[in-house]
Amino acid sequence: MSKKKMSPEEIVKYFKDEFKAKVKDSRVEKRVAGVKKKEFVNIWLKIDKSVFKDVIKHLCDIQFPHLAVVSGNDLGSTIELIYHFSLYYGERLNEVSLNISVELPKSNPVIETICDYIPGALTTEREKQEMLGVKIRGIPDSRRLFLPDDFPEGVYPWRKDETGPKDMVRNLHEVKK
Amino acid sequence: MKKKESVKTTTKTTYQIPIGPIHPALKEPVMFEFEIDGERIVDVDVSLGHVHRGIEWAGMQRNPVQILYLAERICGICSYSHPIAFARAVENACDIEVPERAEYLRVIHGELERICSHILWAGVAAHEIGFDTVLFLTWEMREKALDLTEYLTGNRVTKAIIMIGGVRRDITSDMVPKVQETLKYFKDNFEKLRHIFLDDKTVRLRSQGCGVLTYDDALKLCAIGPTTRASGVKKDVRVDQAYAAYGDLDIDYMTPDVLTGEVNGDVYDRIIVRLLEVKQSIDLIEQCLDKMPSGDILSEPKIPKLLARVKKTAGEGIGRHEAPRGEVIHYVKFDGENDNPYTWKARAPTYNNILPWIPMLKGEQIADIPIVAASTDPCISCTNRVTIVDNDKNSRYILNREELHRMSIEKTRRLTR
Amino acid sequence: MAKGLPKSFKKALWVYHCNSGSCNGCDIEIIAALCPRYDVERFGIRLVGSPRHADVLLVTGPVTRQMADKVKRVYEQMPDPKAVICVGNCGNTGDVFYESYNLVGPISNIIPVDVHVVGCPPRPEAIINAVAKAWVKLETLEAEKR
Repeated sequence: MSKKKMSPEEIVKYFKDEFKAKVKDSRVEKRVAGVKKKEFVNIWLKIDKSVFKDVIKHLCDIQFPHLAVVSGNDLGSTIELIYHFSLYYGERLNEVSLNISVELPKSNPVIETICDYIPGALTTEREKQEMLGVKIRGIPDSRRLFLPDDFPEGVYPWRKDETGPKDMVRNLHEVKK
Repeated sequence: MKKKESVKTTTKTTYQIPIGPIHPALKEPVMFEFEIDGERIVDVDVSLGHVHRGIEWAGMQRNPVQILYLAERICGICSYSHPIAFARAVENACDIEVPERAEYLRVIHGELERICSHILWAGVAAHEIGFDTVLFLTWEMREKALDLTEYLTGNRVTKAIIMIGGVRRDITSDMVPKVQETLKYFKDNFEKLRHIFLDDKTVRLRSQGCGVLTYDDALKLCAIGPTTRASGVKKDVRVDQAYAAYGDLDIDYMTPDVLTGEVNGDVYDRIIVRLLEVKQSIDLIEQCLDKMPSGDILSEPKIPKLLARVKKTAGEGIGRHEAPRGEVIHYVKFDGENDNPYTWKARAPTYNNILPWIPMLKGEQIADIPIVAASTDPCISCTNRVTIVDNDKNSRYILNREELHRMSIEKTRRLTR
Repeated sequence: MAKGLPKSFKKALWVYHCNSGSCNGCDIEIIAALCPRYDVERFGIRLVGSPRHADVLLVTGPVTRQMADKVKRVYEQMPDPKAVICVGNCGNTGDVFYESYNLVGPISNIIPVDVHVVGCPPRPEAIINAVAKAWVKLETLEAEKR
């Protein structure tokens, strides 16, 4: 499983070779920090939702990745989920941050779970279900995580459309007469 | 974390204990449900959310400078880590440069916070085992670190020292002697701390072999921070990635084999990792003071200009930092029209460390719950009112937190007899 | 303490701390008040594990929806005479959390508050000062009864 370390461009090429047109966009960002100007790398990949599970399996072949968190964007008619992974931890200044984003249509926001490859993804997948209204197929435990049980169904706090929590917002500074 | 199935043996059934959210001593409320067979824990279920304040939603209505003050109050103990991760995310998204002197200052404040947090944890862990004297001793040492924090930033807990593009206050050359005096105090007393925790027979009896997290579990469950380093997995954002001034400094992963030569993944190893990190932090602050470059501390001192620049950029960025409890990651996206972020996601380190509780607690006794849960240094804590429902006899009796704590102390006494 | 009041409180105050969703900053300062530097135990004030033993309730945090009824229950379980101290800006007015979908408002909406401590987080000296003020209030209440 541990082959030699690939450079960021090689990692992008590894995915593009396997999935060809399904990798819609890719970006490699390099920044420097400190006096000695050591650099760190962020890779952003945008893939199609149909090959999502295969991409994750392909990623696990490089090295077991570290899933930091899944963040989500409400883009109007689609919901974008971004999986923040990191690879090549364990050696000094070798780490690469890999961010894989998937777009789901709001009419059918369903995606498969990755808990069978990466069991640590359970907490963050449960959070996406309740905050954005995404349905995760195959998740072992689909209860609410942060919102209380009496929070109304169908209200998704991170969405910017009519299912947002606008009616539930209270202003604590209000002075009651 | 499947839905609970009670394990039915022929003669006994299991109890289910909910440990409810209110806590008399410290920290945030969280709810546990344990399934108990006699004294052994069979299954664990955690339910969070009692502290959900809707911060990310509130952040999306404010501009980045206001979010810095909001991010500080996500957690009071790691109140430096969230603003710095957020500032890095904004700087990455909008391509804002940070001056070199500011990067070194950020490292100094981060390591100072790490010292305060690990010593706080050491006191709490000792309290859970039953050594209240050690709690008072370590918190007295912590007061010296808090004095230094107050001298450098103006406040003990919520420091408000980070600004997007640098730091707000400088450490001038007349402040350096006080920093060095505090560091000397810690170096002199570190040996005392190490001797109390690592050479004591009772601490060893209570913590060795208890709450084990194997290397594979730690890797698969994406555990972070000292919890995972104690199991041998080498993950540390400061060493892996060059950010702030860590790329220039001499730093390495702290795993238990640095001190003892072997890795067990139990509570004792976590104590070792945290104490070693205190020593490492003292060393890092000294390196920073030696190598500090001169220059500005803020790349853009005028806030309206900064906000105008953020308003024009459209982009996304992530910022990561190694907080005392693990990795903190913030994601921010700007849409180029307003200066409110379009999306902001903040992830505190304890959320990744919740799932490892399950393999750590299975097979342990009830009296070990406080020390094992405290060994991962949760920023959400547990236990207060324990209701034991006896399924057989249909009777309920209540154990309050004092009794749970007392059971933990009695176990210590039994072991040392 | 307060002059002219008969000394009705023969024992020292016992304090129960309840966290209704705070960031832990105030809670750390409450524990720091017990530590050797500020040492509030020399006055006999101690932290107890059950609201039924307590005279004074220290509440921190803006109240989340999940915790609202639990805080109320804790208040009702405390025996009279009792005093409530609200520690930190979150419980007083909401501070930075002034707008949210999961918060039910300042603590004074849920239970009656006697002493407000301002600060984010307030220093341990301010917390000790607040407990002393609550002591005076309780003594006044006891004196009025006679």
